[in-house]
Amino acid sequence: MAIPHAETEAALIVKAQTGDRNAYGELVRHHHPGVVNVVYRMCGDIQLAEDAAQDAFIQAWLHLPSFRPGTSLRNWLYRIAVNAALDVIRREPKQPFADLETLSMPDPQAGPEAVLLQKERTLAVQQAILSLTEASRAVLVLREYGGLSYQEISAALDIPLGTVMSRLNYARDRLKELLAPQFNNMETEYA
Amino acid sequence: MPKHVTEWLGAYHDGELNSARLRQVEGHLAECAECQAELEGMQGLSALLRETAPADEFLPTERFVANLTLNLPRQPEQPQPRKMLEIGWWLIPFSVLGMWIFLQITFSLSSLALAASDTGLLGNNLSWLQGNPLQTGWFVTIMNLFGSQIGFTGQSILSFLNDSDLFIQNLTGQFFWQALLAVSYLGWLASWWLRRRPPSQNPGNFSQS
Repeated sequence: MAIPHAETEAALIVKAQTGDRNAYGELVRHHHPGVVNVVYRMCGDIQLAEDAAQDAFIQAWLHLPSFRPGTSLRNWLYRIAVNAALDVIRREPKQPFADLETLSMPDPQAGPEAVLLQKERTLAVQQAILSLTEASRAVLVLREYGGLSYQEISAALDIPLGTVMSRLNYARDRLKELLAPQFNNMETEYA
Repeated sequence: MPKHVTEWLGAYHDGELNSARLRQVEGHLAECAECQAELEGMQGLSALLRETAPADEFLPTERFVANLTLNLPRQPEQPQPRKMLEIGWWLIPFSVLGMWIFLQITFSLSSLALAASDTGLLGNNLSWLQGNPLQTGWFVTIMNLFGSQIGFTGQSILSFLNDSDLFIQNLTGQFFWQALLAVSYLGWLASWWLRRRPPSQNPGNFSQS
């Protein structure tokens, strides 16, 4: 997918702010994978994530005229996406990954045992992430899956930089505890 | 051994430390096995998080965009950008500055002209500036009523008090305008600083708790 040049994105934003749906479609096309990744990690469920992504992009469309040019559209979208994911979870609480069958196949070339192991690991990781508090989860997801810097997370979630660090430290400590068995297995494999 | 740097390891791992803290953490890591192990654990965790299967069963982007475009509601009407207001906003500091310069020039010129007139340098050319005989109301009244009774010393004291009063009035007037302009300018600066802070632009309701 072609990544729009910064100026092109700015031009598309201006057009979309005046109601140009095609321009907005271009923006969505570019940011969809990142937004979906963030909401999926927040929700832990493909269907919920689809709903959250749709809600997020509709919310963004409705509020786009008030978007201030010169600020990061990606950060703004991620913030809306995090909120949309939390809303979807609250609206429709559902136990994600009821069984391993619902998980996607990580590597079609791998043997059945490796696939099963991979799926178990994925399930454990997703459940561990979901066990975090919403605030810590949002920071962790934006950092690990959104690739945002601390400053960007701080701006996106409207929290101080120190809070970003402390929530991230808390989330990582908690995940290390919860994922200790998977982590050990992974080390054994790599060894 | 110096204190552990556990609290900074996350930021170190994410490349978010400033140079001074970075040197401190690197120095500590070079000699602390415990913190090294902690860092390796953090790196392993990040690898584990990213290694887990990505969600590849999502609607393809093109289909998502097509569906979304169909479902987009009408954007709410936005008020037209208030350009005149914006221009007016930026004119405020220049107007304040202009008024300050004008007042400074006016006060300075009038002081110079009066001084020149008092010393007779300009003859009677500036007599129109002195339509007012530089006497306060209370001074005129007292002089009219008791002028002949209070003697030379009393008149000198009254004259001195009259001059002091005029000086204070003049100074107070100048100070008032300067203070008013300074407050206006500082008020504008404060508003500008508050306006330039990025707005939250948050249509959501993320809890900060």
